Amino acid sequence: MIKLFTLASLLVTMPVSFISVNYNYSYYGETIHSAPGMTFAAYINAQSLGVTLTSPEDLVVYDEEIYLVDSNTNNLIVIDNGFNLVKEYVSFSLSTEYQDYLTDQGVVDFSDISLDSPHGIDVNDSGIYICDTSNFRIVKLNHDFEVIATFQDMDDKTFDLELDDGIEFEPMKITVDASERMYVVAKGVYEGIMEINYDGDFNRFTGVNPIVLTPFEIFSRSLMTEEQIAQLQLFLPTEYTNVSINEKSFIYATSKTSENNADNPIQLINPKGVDVITRNGYFPPKGDIHYVIGSNNYVIEGPSELVDISSTDHGIYTVLDQKRSRLFTYDSEGNLLYINGDEGSQSDKFSEGVAIEYFNDDLLILDRGTKTIVVYQLTEFGAYVNQAISYHDEGKFEEAALIWEEVVKINSNYEIAFNGIGKLLLRQENYKEAMEYFKLGHDTYYYSKAFKGYRNDIIKNNFGLIIGSMVVVAGGLMGYKVYSTYKKGGSILYED
Amino acid sequence: MKTKLKTIYNDYVKFPKYILFHPFDGFEEFKRYKKGKLIVAIVFIILFAFFRVFQYQYTGFIINENNPLMLNSLQEIFSVLLLVVLFSVGNWSVTTLMEGKGSYKEILMVTGYALFPMIIMGFPSVIISNFLTLEEIAFYNLLMYMAVIATGWMLFMGILNIHQYGLFKTLIAFIATLVAMSIMMFLGLLFFDLIQQFISFIAAIYEEISLR
Repeated sequence: MIKLFTLASLLVTMPVSFISVNYNYSYYGETIHSAPGMTFAAYINAQSLGVTLTSPEDLVVYDEEIYLVDSNTNNLIVIDNGFNLVKEYVSFSLSTEYQDYLTDQGVVDFSDISLDSPHGIDVNDSGIYICDTSNFRIVKLNHDFEVIATFQDMDDKTFDLELDDGIEFEPMKITVDASERMYVVAKGVYEGIMEINYDGDFNRFTGVNPIVLTPFEIFSRSLMTEEQIAQLQLFLPTEYTNVSINEKSFIYATSKTSENNADNPIQLINPKGVDVITRNGYFPPKGDIHYVIGSNNYVIEGPSELVDISSTDHGIYTVLDQKRSRLFTYDSEGNLLYINGDEGSQSDKFSEGVAIEYFNDDLLILDRGTKTIVVYQLTEFGAYVNQAISYHDEGKFEEAALIWEEVVKINSNYEIAFNGIGKLLLRQENYKEAMEYFKLGHDTYYYSKAFKGYRNDIIKNNFGLIIGSMVVVAGGLMGYKVYSTYKKGGSILYED
Repeated sequence: MKTKLKTIYNDYVKFPKYILFHPFDGFEEFKRYKKGKLIVAIVFIILFAFFRVFQYQYTGFIINENNPLMLNSLQEIFSVLLLVVLFSVGNWSVTTLMEGKGSYKEILMVTGYALFPMIIMGFPSVIISNFLTLEEIAFYNLLMYMAVIATGWMLFMGILNIHQYGLFKTLIAFIATLVAMSIMMFLGLLFFDLIQQFISFIAAIYEEISLR
C-alpha cells in the first residue's frame, strides 16, 4: 500500500521537479511564477555547420548574417539566416589601399594576416572589427574580408610598458558607432571603456565606474602610513565585461558587480560618458535580486555575473548571466519583463554563455561550454509583451491596453500589465478603475495622477453640497455659541 | 456622566496638552500634586502600539511600501513594549546613580505621556495620507516630523523635570540611558544564546544516554 502511494505521489511530483520553473519578481521582491517569455527554437553547432569550434567567444548579427569568432581555432565564421555555413576565414589578405598605405610607411611584407585568440567582433556598414587579443591589436576588414587597417599601440600611459604598471593592449570586446569610433573593453583596464577614433588614435576613457569610500575607510586610511596603504587591497573600479551600441550611438554596457556598484552592473552610456539608464522598475536592473551569500556547496552564490547585453527595438534589452545561465529581459523603463534560460548540457540548454545577440525577434546565445549557438524564440506571452511595449512606445495606448489584457489572461501575476491597462483608463478619464489597476501594478506615480482626477471629479460634482455643509456646520457652531452665551445671561457684544 | 466625560477629557487631552506647552509648570503639577496618572500613561502606550499597527496597514497607498500580507501585529506590539520597558529601566538605573529625584513609576509615566503628540497627531495624519496625491504627501511628512519632535521634546523635558536636573546633566543622562539600554540588549541576547546552548547540550546528553 505504501509502495503504491509512493509511486503515485512520485508520478505527481516528478514532472514538477524536472520542468524548469519560470519566475519573475513581484513588487515586494517575492519570486512569483511567470509564463516563459522565450523558449528554445533551434541550435547550431560544429556538426551542423561542418566546421571545428573549440572555444567560440563572440558573435554579432549584420545584414541577416551571423559572424562568429573562435579564440582557439582563430577563425572567423559566417553563417546565413538559414543557419548554414557561408564561409570560414582563417586568414585575410591585405586590400590594395592598405598595401599602398603600408608601402608609404616603408613596409614591404604584404603576407596575409591571421588572428591570434580573437575575443570580440563587431560588424557595421564601415567594416568588420575584430579584437585580435593576443596580437594586441584591432583588425578592421572591409566587407570583402580584406584587411583595411590594424590598430595597435594605444597612446595612453596605461599601456606604456616602460612604466612599472604598464600593460599590453589586449582588446576583449568592441562596438563601433556610425562615425566609425570604436568603443573597446580591454583586459586589465579599470579606467572605463576605451574610445578610439576612426584612424586608431586613442581618444579617452568613457563611462567610468566611480569608487565610493565609506567615511570610516577614509578615516582609517588617513591614519595609516604610506607602507600600510600599499599593503591594503587596491580599491579598483569594476571592469566592464561587454559593450553594445544602439542606433542612437548610446552604449549598453555590462560590468562585474562589486560592493561599489552592486546596483548598476547594467549601464546605458550616452555620448557624453554619463550613465542614463532608466531604473523605474520595482528593482534596479541587475539580474537576480535574491541570491545566497556565504560559502555553501549546494547552490551558486553571489550576484548575477552579467557578460553580454543585446538590445532590440523600442529599448528592450536582454542581459546574459553566465553564473546561472539566465537571460533577463528589461524594457526601456527598467521593468523586468521576463527571465529565461536553463542550465545544462542538452542541446536546448546552455552552460557557459559568453555572448547573446538579437536576430530579428529571436535571440542567439553563444555557449562556450557546449560550443553551440542556442536560438530562443518568443513565446505567445513574450510576443504579446514585446508588442504591447512597442505600442506603448509609439503612443498607441489603446492597442497596448488590449494586448496587456491578453497578457494578464496568460499570466495574472504580471504586475506591469496592470499598469499598461491603467494608463489607458487614465487617458479615458476613468479614474476610479485606473486607480484599481495602478494599485495592482504598484505604480504610485500614475496612481497619484488617477487619484487626483478622481478627487477633482468628486469635488466638482458635489461642490454645492460640500460648501453648503461647511456653511451649515460653521453657522450651527456659531449659533450654538451665541445661544449658550445668552442662556448663561451673558452678552456676545461684551466680554464679561 | 457629564463630569466623568469631563475628567476623561481633562486627563487624556487637556493635561498632556498643558504639559506639552508649559513643560516646567506642567511637570511641577505632574510630580508634586500627583496630577499625572499611571493609567493614562499605560493607555497612551497601548494606543501607541495600536498606532504602529494602524500606520503599517492604513498609510495611504502612495507612500505605503509595506506588504499588507506581512503584517505581524504581535511583533509591532512587542517592539513598542520592549522599547518602553528598556528605556524606563535603563533610565531608572542610570538616574538612581546620578541623584535623580524621580521614581520608576514617574519615569514610566513620563514615557507614556511623551507619546501623547505621536498619538494625537499620528492617527489623523495617517488618515489624511489616504486623501493626498504624490505632490501633497509633504504635508503628511510635516505632520509626522512635528509629532516626532514634540514627542522627543516632551520626553526630554519630562526627564529633566522629574529628576530635577539641569540641561547638561539631562543630556548626559540620556546618553548614559542609551548605553544602559544597549548593555541590557547585549545581556539579553547573550542569555538567550547561552540558554539555547545549554538546552541543546542537555538534549545531546539525553540522546547519548538514551541510545546506549
